[in-house]
Amino acid sequence: MGDIRQSLLPRDVLSAAKELLYHLDIYICNLVQSGRQPPQVDSKTLELVEEFILHAPKDRNTPGRRMSALQELQLLEIMCSCFQEQSRDTVRQLMFSALFSLQGNQADESRMALLGKLVSMAIAVGRIPILECAATWLQRTHRVYCIRLAQVLVDDYCSMVPGSVPTLQNIHSASPRFCCQFITAVTTLYDLNSEELTPPLELLQMIVSWIQDDPRLVLITFLNTPLSGSQPISSLDLTPLGGLVRWCVKAPLAYRRDSKQALTNGTTQNEPETGPLFSALHLSVLQVFMLLPNILNEKGLFGRLALLQMESLAALTSDLSRLLDQADKHTHASSADTHALSQLTLDRLAQALQVAMANGALLCSREDLRAICSRLPHNNLLQLVLSGPVMYYNNIHTPPLAFSPHAAHSPIASHPTHPTHPAHTPHTPLATHPSSHPQYPAQPFMTGMPFPFRPSH
Amino acid sequence: MSAQKDCEFLVKRARELVSDDPCAAKAWLITARTLYPADFNIQYEMYIIERNAERTASAGRLLYDMFINFPEQPTVWREISVITAALRSDSQDKHAQFLRGLFETLPGRVQCEMLLKATEQCFNTLEKAEMLLLLLKRFPESVVQHGVNLGETLLEAEVSENVETPVNCFRKLFVCDVLPLVINNMDMRLPASLMQKYMLKAAEFYICYVTRGPSPDMQIQGKAALFQCSQEGGSLKSPNVSRSSQRYVIDGLSEKSSVVVEPWERLLDILAVVGARCEWQGDKGQRSYVDMLLRVKELCRYLPGLEGDTRSRCCSQVVICAALVLFRSAFLYVSAVQPALFQGVNALSAGPWILVEDLSSVYNDVEVERGAVKHAHKKRKLADGREKTMSSDDEEGLGKGRGRHILVNKTEMPSWSETLESFRTARESWDLLHSHDGLEAEFKKICASWKTDSWLWFRIFLTDMIIYQGQYRKALSSLHQMAAVLQPQPGQQSPSGQASLEHHRALIQQASCHYALGEYRMACEKLLDVVSGLVPPNHEPTKTPEDLGRVKTKTRKGNDLRLLPCTSKAMLPFCLQLMLACFKLRAFTDNRDDLSLGHVVVLLQYDWPHGEMLFLKAVDKICQQGSFQYENFFNYVTNIDMLEEFAYLRTPEGGRIQLELLPNQGMLIKNPSPALGVELNTLLLQGVQAMDRHHTVTRGITKGVKEDFRLAMERQVSRCGENLLSVLHRFCINEKIIIIQSLP
Repeated sequence: MGDIRQSLLPRDVLSAAKELLYHLDIYICNLVQSGRQPPQVDSKTLELVEEFILHAPKDRNTPGRRMSALQELQLLEIMCSCFQEQSRDTVRQLMFSALFSLQGNQADESRMALLGKLVSMAIAVGRIPILECAATWLQRTHRVYCIRLAQVLVDDYCSMVPGSVPTLQNIHSASPRFCCQFITAVTTLYDLNSEELTPPLELLQMIVSWIQDDPRLVLITFLNTPLSGSQPISSLDLTPLGGLVRWCVKAPLAYRRDSKQALTNGTTQNEPETGPLFSALHLSVLQVFMLLPNILNEKGLFGRLALLQMESLAALTSDLSRLLDQADKHTHASSADTHALSQLTLDRLAQALQVAMANGALLCSREDLRAICSRLPHNNLLQLVLSGPVMYYNNIHTPPLAFSPHAAHSPIASHPTHPTHPAHTPHTPLATHPSSHPQYPAQPFMTGMPFPFRPSH
Repeated sequence: MSAQKDCEFLVKRARELVSDDPCAAKAWLITARTLYPADFNIQYEMYIIERNAERTASAGRLLYDMFINFPEQPTVWREISVITAALRSDSQDKHAQFLRGLFETLPGRVQCEMLLKATEQCFNTLEKAEMLLLLLKRFPESVVQHGVNLGETLLEAEVSENVETPVNCFRKLFVCDVLPLVINNMDMRLPASLMQKYMLKAAEFYICYVTRGPSPDMQIQGKAALFQCSQEGGSLKSPNVSRSSQRYVIDGLSEKSSVVVEPWERLLDILAVVGARCEWQGDKGQRSYVDMLLRVKELCRYLPGLEGDTRSRCCSQVVICAALVLFRSAFLYVSAVQPALFQGVNALSAGPWILVEDLSSVYNDVEVERGAVKHAHKKRKLADGREKTMSSDDEEGLGKGRGRHILVNKTEMPSWSETLESFRTARESWDLLHSHDGLEAEFKKICASWKTDSWLWFRIFLTDMIIYQGQYRKALSSLHQMAAVLQPQPGQQSPSGQASLEHHRALIQQASCHYALGEYRMACEKLLDVVSGLVPPNHEPTKTPEDLGRVKTKTRKGNDLRLLPCTSKAMLPFCLQLMLACFKLRAFTDNRDDLSLGHVVVLLQYDWPHGEMLFLKAVDKICQQGSFQYENFFNYVTNIDMLEEFAYLRTPEGGRIQLELLPNQGMLIKNPSPALGVELNTLLLQGVQAMDRHHTVTRGITKGVKEDFRLAMERQVSRCGENLLSVLHRFCINEKIIIIQSLP
């Protein structure tokens, strides 16, 4: 490879990059053929990539070479066809990670920039192999970077060029895996805590239509991933379910805030109502939960894998109580309206909790739920869910109403453990918790136990 | 109870939301169901939302859940009965189609269970049967268990519900739906006797279906059309009577399911399967009815040599096959001859047809024929003599039973060859069925159980068949019975309707039979009854090529038959010919019978100059006699050739024949009462003649005769242009009594 560097140096930036890609291809092919396990690209090669493709400065003294915009476009085209023409999955994956796996060095910034452009282009011209590689990348990379990639794509397709949404829409059929990871990234990105962190309407519509057409889409990554138990640290959730629940539950409050601002700004609101979209999305999420018992049973994971994390739910409920407090304080005028929206939020929360718990997506007792919901205002359904159904059915056929966490199997963490100090996050970091939940002790829920807050019908 | 209240609360919230935000309503119900999975109302509410939105797959899924989890809920059963009703109905409306689609989404096992349970809850036999039939059609394996029971239930229902006809809803289901499933199921072993019983039930149904009469509203239309037909004597394509739009509904069934497509073919299908399963002889697949007859004919030859089971099996095969061929061919024949009897047969293309003696040789020289007819007389007498010893009256049928020709105007009946072929096939099948005591006995059993005696159409065939066989006495008694049935009732429609047409038909056929038996007086009595009901055509018929070609058929032996259209146009000439035939022999005997001779002369005018030879023979006879008395001459003879001939006869050259042709001449000679003469004159000679009345009366007896004759001749010549058929029609009506009395 040392020889290669010598031969690359005299070339112009584009042909050097091209040459290196060519060599990389041959090198990885040989690597795979040699059968060494695991096939690993050596650091020398990675350095060459940083020097001749990412153009990171070799050292502080020599400034990196720069490519013109046209050269960069040409390079992207070459990369696109390079991945398109390589027929072997393994080779493609190795090449993609040689190029785009984060190395924790200075080159990562240009790496991310080039990746964003490449994926954006792959979406535009429908390069499925690149989208598949990107889907894997989105599974293995720290969520912060995943969010950045998602942000680039949303900017490119939803903000910068009007009318380009349909192109993005196509990824659903082109690469469902990528689509699923994209949804997870986007729901992680937009937490609805502020206006900036509210998804653009086009994006929302697109996601709702995807999931309505095929609810199993959100489970694609989960279905295709063999659970080794070793999820990369701080990667995205295995499914977008947690993010979607957060969206649906918070939406009535978040969009009320938006519309209020729009009204005070005097801008005419000609955008379509988001209410029905979230209502449909919420229903889809519940329907996905309904699919879970069969899938979990097939995988032998029922009761062992929690697709919804108590931590993130706890974060959600604490967000909610804050938002509901604010809402109460700030709106005296239209209190009836506010009340209805608050109730809608709590209804959805209760529904998500109940359905998730009943279908094995949430592994906890009602006692645990009562703990995280204790600060929320009164809602009939939530009370009903927290207290659990009255057991008047002596019917032996009645299936268990909720999963009891004191099951024989030990829970598997589907959720990657967060590093103690996350890398710089562009927005409020998600609540970090240790992987086990000492604060929610496994406690059998006594069915039919009287609960003081039964809803008053 | 608190749980109850929880559920009510949850369902109530969902109901409140469903119109504005159906997604939210569903989210509530999904949540509710995870809380109270055993609550029926929650799931029913979910189902109702999907059903009302006509979402087939999700509604089907929920119905399935309810069916599994709440099998005892009456609400579920109400829903299932709505769905099964949609399955049974042939309604094409959107909701019915949705319900059928919903059912299709269910797994087969559930469909099966659902239908079975729905069947159990059904109390109406027909509905129950339809339901079970849905099951059997979808799940062939259930045929073994339920097929025969269902069939028997339907056959029992037929008895217990006192249905009037084999064409009823129970039989239709049995024959068209259940039976094919049962006999085609190879997992079932049915005894041959049961198979044959079912086969006969099917045959009875299909035959009665095909031969069912027109519905009442169509009958009225048909009558009107037939009336026009008989009036105008031709086919009529009236645009307001379209037979293609016939409607027929079997009581208890929808219009669509009342339709049986290609009944004869279906019957043949069943016969093929039954034959194969009963191990009948010969080709497994019965290709056609004609083939079938050939095969059983063949089989019949071996019958005497067979014994035991083989023999009885063979007997059954021959009887069933031959009977089906018989009824089918007889139907085809009668539907051509009497189309108005049947629903769905195009009755307007042609009116009824009558099988009668062929009289095209009536103008032949009497000498040629006399021998034959005399011989027939003798034979008849012989037969009469034997009557005492043999039970059948004219058993050997005047020796005419075999090889008789049936003539028919081919332009008026385009399907003549098929019709005659059907008639022949039917007769052959009949003969086969009566060729053997064993066969006859079995066939009679079938006839008795089907009550074929009451099938008018079949009786028409039988009558025509025995006429063909020359068993006229038998035919007459059959015709009398039919005539009694068809006699127009006093309160009924005008005599010009269908019933009177049928009545005419029967009378003409009777007349023809009487004629064939030599009973001329009876023959004339019958046909004059018909003539009085006919209206003569306005125009004299132009001669058809067949009429002209008739000379060629002269040499026929005189025992042919003819299919005659039942129209005034065709019937009146036939009546005239038949009368001529009746009088011809009498007129030319050695004994003098001027009245008969006169009638002959009058009748010979029709179809002139076909009868020229006979006329000349009559003139010869008059010359020999030297005189001739026929008082109706001037009333009814308008033929210029004849008038000339008679005028000539009076001249010295003609032989000075003494002709008494004026009505009053004889009367005045015999009875010199002027009053009576006047009366007769007024009655018989109108117009000009009335002016001569005084003249005639005052002139004395002989003096004015010559003058009167000349005047009458002159007047008669001026009548030559009169419509001959009107004249002859008047002759028949006015002289009816004399005509009849002049025959023995």
